[in-house]
Amino acid sequence: MIKPKRLLSLLLRFIAFGTTLAAVILMATSHEKGTFFAVSYEAKYTDTPAFKYFVIANAIVTVYGFLVLFLPPGSPIWRLVLALDLVFIMLLISSISAAMAIAQVGKNGNPRAAWLPVCGQVAKFLQPSNRSFSCWFHCTDNLHYSAALLYLQSP
Amino acid sequence: MALQNEDKLEVGYSSLQPKPKKWVLLMLRLLAFFATAAATVVMGLNKETKTLVVATVGTTLIKATLTAKFQHTPAFVFFVIANGLASIHNLVMIMGDSFGQKLDYKGLRLAMIAILDMMTVALISGGASAAAFMAELGKNGNSHARWNSICDKYKTFCDHGGGALIASFAGLILMLIISVMSIIKLLIKPKPDSTIVVP
Repeated sequence: MIKPKRLLSLLLRFIAFGTTLAAVILMATSHEKGTFFAVSYEAKYTDTPAFKYFVIANAIVTVYGFLVLFLPPGSPIWRLVLALDLVFIMLLISSISAAMAIAQVGKNGNPRAAWLPVCGQVAKFLQPSNRSFSCWFHCTDNLHYSAALLYLQSP
Repeated sequence: MALQNEDKLEVGYSSLQPKPKKWVLLMLRLLAFFATAAATVVMGLNKETKTLVVATVGTTLIKATLTAKFQHTPAFVFFVIANGLASIHNLVMIMGDSFGQKLDYKGLRLAMIAILDMMTVALISGGASAAAFMAELGKNGNSHARWNSICDKYKTFCDHGGGALIASFAGLILMLIISVMSIIKLLIKPKPDSTIVVP
């Protein structure tokens, strides 16, 4: 039967694959419309290069994770996998970091640069029936998913 | 007699082998230390002050002084901290390589070096990436969120920030090479009849 060490490794890689897939899907499909003083906004992940980078990086790692799941145990390609793991960990961390930086500005704004916070800003004004777009909230979920998988990549 | 020769051969093999690599690694670490230290210092001292005339009351001009500092943006704060920690890591590793060859903890010295190198690479990559995207936002603005670009007003701030970013990315590439070399060192176990040839 399958050795327990191999089974554990497979399980971890599957969880990693699942989380990056979830991150890609969540970020790519989060899409919200709102109107703010008769100007309609639509928030998508393509608005910011940081989110585009996040989606692309996670997509690459998803494909890699999927392919590694089917690698037979005795194959010499595992040495390459060891090196590629390091590269993809770095890619993931950088994409999480970038998306989190932009999300933080979107959530809190930066008053010194006259950048208003984008999430939830309309609620403060007197528009009665409008709800602002909150797509930037989605990224914190995505980020938690992707961060979990980093620790799983090492075995 | 034959056994003694073999022993000498073993010792010669393992002591000759890491020497050229050791200098290369040390040089790389030194370069990486300089790169990350430069990035930390340049971004840490990044500050620009501008005075704008806000209003005119009679004949006196009311001026407002605006500063752009790196502390205003959490991404840049993370960048400074990450590069600072990376410089400290490189410094400690250089000291360890030059002066503390005998230090070992249960035979795990190489493993600890490799793990710490990997963690530092991850840290620098996170910091550099966050700062890069914040800088891109500051330079181009974002029309969808009605955020104006600030680089046309604070040109020196942006230039210095860009320089720090370049230094940090150079440090990142160097750290990546160092990390790969540390991992390779871990994988190679010198044996007398080993067929693995170290490049």
